[in-house]
Amino acid sequence: MGAMNTALVWSATTVAVLVALAGLASTVASRRIGLVHLAGAAVLEVLLVAQAVVAAVALAGGQRPPETATFVGYLAGAVLLPVAGVLWSRTEPSRWAGTVLAVASLVTVVMVWRLVQLWEAPGG
Amino acid sequence: MAEGGRGTAPGGTAAGPGRVLVAVYAVFALAAGARAGVQLATRFSEAPVAYLLSALAAAVYVVATVALARGGRRVALAAITVELVGVLAVGVLSLTDRAAFPDETVWSAFGRGYGYVPLVLPVLGLLWLRHQARAAGRS
Repeated sequence: MGAMNTALVWSATTVAVLVALAGLASTVASRRIGLVHLAGAAVLEVLLVAQAVVAAVALAGGQRPPETATFVGYLAGAVLLPVAGVLWSRTEPSRWAGTVLAVASLVTVVMVWRLVQLWEAPGG
Repeated sequence: MAEGGRGTAPGGTAAGPGRVLVAVYAVFALAAGARAGVQLATRFSEAPVAYLLSALAAAVYVVATVALARGGRRVALAAITVELVGVLAVGVLSLTDRAAFPDETVWSAFGRGYGYVPLVLPVLGLLWLRHQARAAGRS
């Protein structure tokens, strides 16, 4: 995958899906988000930052996806999303905080796989 | 941010399920904005109408996000109505007049490229605003 590390992509996907499930579970159970959610989001963030560093090294090394600007935009967005999701859900005192976190996590998954696509796209 | 916004029902448009709505709108504001920015900056001459509509979509999402987040029900209603009309109009046009829409926009083919979320979102938004208006009427 070039700048996209297979292990990091899959572990980020797995963690993000787990965080999303935990978030939805807390909404269904009428509970606020707890330490589990925050820890999960933190692990996701670490994986995303690691992936961003790998991609930055590849870019600095001269490798370029066809749409570099879009790729960098998605990369920055993916790194910021879990942080934004946690902040926005932490200020929600109701059970819906979990769904907010789930939305942020699932969008992160979409963005990570868009990054993979963007990197592997044939040069144009 | 002041909890519950100003002049709204207890909770307001950004509380409870509304907070989820604001999150989704924010994602679309960013996605549509970034996409429109790239299109306008790099390929504007190829399809000016489509790319200007793309930019309009982005603006509508930004306005809707801010209005919902701050409890501005009237502005939110206007923005989300424009959004619904836009996704339906661009959805039809992009399927009937492919030449005018060579590149995907958020609203192309009723938002197919985004899992049809752009089509469902304004409906949810309008339902939520109606719910909020009723809650405000009761209190």
